[in-house]
Amino acid sequence: MALIVSGIGVSRGIAIGNVHRLKRGAPEVFERKLEEHEIDAEIARFQDAVDGAAEQLRGIRDTIPEDAPKDVAAFIDSHLLMVKDSMLRKVPIEIIQEQQCNAEWALKQQRDKLEAVFEQMEDDYLRTRLNDIEHVINLIQQILKDQQFTMQIKLQPLKGSIIVADDLTPADTVVMQNQNIAGFITELGGPLSHTAILARSLGIPAVVGIQSARTLLQQKEQLVLDGSSGMVLVGADENTIKEFRQIQREQKDARRKLGSLKNISAKTKDGQRISLQANIELAEDISALKKSGADGVGLYRTEFLYIDRETPADETEQLSAYRKIIRVLKGKPLTIRTLDLGGDKEFDPEFQGPLTQNPALGLRAIRRSLKDTELFKQQLRAILRASASGPVRILLPMITSDTELVQSLSLLDQAKHELKSESKNFDADILVGAMIEVPAAAISANIFAKQLDFLSIGTNDLIQYTLAIDRIDDQVNYLYDPLHPSVLKLINITLQAGRRAGIPVAMCGEMAGDSRYTRLLLGLGLHEFSAHPSTLLEIKQIINKSKISELEKQAKKILSTTVPSKIAPMVDALNA
Amino acid sequence: MISKDLTVANKLGLHARAAAKVVALASNFASEISLQKGNRKINGKSIMGVMMLAASQHTIVNVVVTGEDEQQAMTEIENLFNNLFDEEE
Repeated sequence: MALIVSGIGVSRGIAIGNVHRLKRGAPEVFERKLEEHEIDAEIARFQDAVDGAAEQLRGIRDTIPEDAPKDVAAFIDSHLLMVKDSMLRKVPIEIIQEQQCNAEWALKQQRDKLEAVFEQMEDDYLRTRLNDIEHVINLIQQILKDQQFTMQIKLQPLKGSIIVADDLTPADTVVMQNQNIAGFITELGGPLSHTAILARSLGIPAVVGIQSARTLLQQKEQLVLDGSSGMVLVGADENTIKEFRQIQREQKDARRKLGSLKNISAKTKDGQRISLQANIELAEDISALKKSGADGVGLYRTEFLYIDRETPADETEQLSAYRKIIRVLKGKPLTIRTLDLGGDKEFDPEFQGPLTQNPALGLRAIRRSLKDTELFKQQLRAILRASASGPVRILLPMITSDTELVQSLSLLDQAKHELKSESKNFDADILVGAMIEVPAAAISANIFAKQLDFLSIGTNDLIQYTLAIDRIDDQVNYLYDPLHPSVLKLINITLQAGRRAGIPVAMCGEMAGDSRYTRLLLGLGLHEFSAHPSTLLEIKQIINKSKISELEKQAKKILSTTVPSKIAPMVDALNA
Repeated sequence: MISKDLTVANKLGLHARAAAKVVALASNFASEISLQKGNRKINGKSIMGVMMLAASQHTIVNVVVTGEDEQQAMTEIENLFNNLFDEEE
């Protein structure tokens, strides 16, 4: 009978293989009092163990393949430095001398002291780095106990098996990778642990956090492991296994195919070039951006420069943040959205004043910028100065009325004059666009289209404001519907306004990154999608298989459908 | 003796790999190098010490370098901080 066990999927991919159980955890440590004459020998034993740990780590480092990501070696290097550190190398020796106790006990005491310091840390990521120190300490303990675990793994035939262990170190992971394991399951660990990060870099499917894995899963039992969902299937019948092998093959093919799309441009079968741009925020999105083959950045969120920090970033810091992305983009355009705080975004009372009843309808985005014009101008100056280094576009959030646009453009002019008089370089013809995310703006999109270089539809807010639904309110969010006839009408009005004015209209909300809607949007005439970099290749795959001329007719039909429940099946039919 | 306040600007803060970079660099110099955050002052040549500073992003760390090559050491440490410890973010 089949049994399903669930954990946290930390490294995607399907693995099918037989269980190989391993015990890693810290060995139990007991205190032993030493006679005076035993002390020197105990110190020597401890030093040997530390040297042994260093040697093991170096040995593992040497087996890392040349083409492995450089993170892999860096993990081991930091562990090597710890082994050399006086806090691990000298302090325990002092404890052995002072307390006349065994090496294991001395090391344990030092470990407990370190643990106490780490537990007080406020930063989650730094606090979990205690794991690294524990791995190193355990390695020494293990050697002390003649439990050279990693050596054990090395000697075992593990090819094709799914390792089930209480916990694994980065070093174990590297050794096991060299032995071609199919995947691994651990009882401990989370998605941020180094072992999980390594599994992802090395492409080993992995599930962590199955608490009693070593009791539930028997040696040699066949398992199916899904590293995306965290599901582990025990005792599946032959047909099920066959199905999963098929999925495994399909996933491999799909990944290969998607990857091969990176350097191909998005173009429909009837020859319409589609621009696929990335939404990015933090620096962590940069590596995803590089892999996405994006035609540029369609939405660079700048809130991180203002909140969760002591003071807002000044002009110089902003400039360097923008330039960093420009360098990555190598001539492709960067669209920088000016500060957009409030609504469902993070709210910072220090920065925005007291929380009002209705923050989504309050002082947010461009409204706030126009109230604190000095701060706004500082950002405009930084964006302008960045435009000297590469193509940059300015995107104004939440524009609702013509007055706001006129005020914003006049501040931009002021910023340009200032920079000119200071002889600072910038692109005088920098492109300016507005987010269309308030129904009022969509309805009057033609007014904005006439004065701007581009528009960008922000569907998240547009849907929220059109349907009067707070997305984060569990009681009503079932009503949040991108396919609501009124939402589709507003999108269509905006696209039409862009076509009439001869300016591009992009979409940068979540709808643009959801492959269910790609064909509908193509049919409505959207030629510029901006979404999280990880979704772009999938969208590209759909675009390159689509013919706009065929989709237009269906899109029109959908637009004239007034019953919301009928629309979803029609959209699904487009994808069939 | 040179003393300077440096900001930890990378996203993950002084975690193991970033700390390893600081220590590897500091160990190249003869000068004594200390890092201080709040009341905690540690030896810049000890990885555990640097990790135990718990310096997350935006933390300001006071770096003190004393010795014959202090000028060069401070310049290179400052560069490492400014280059986000060679991390992308």
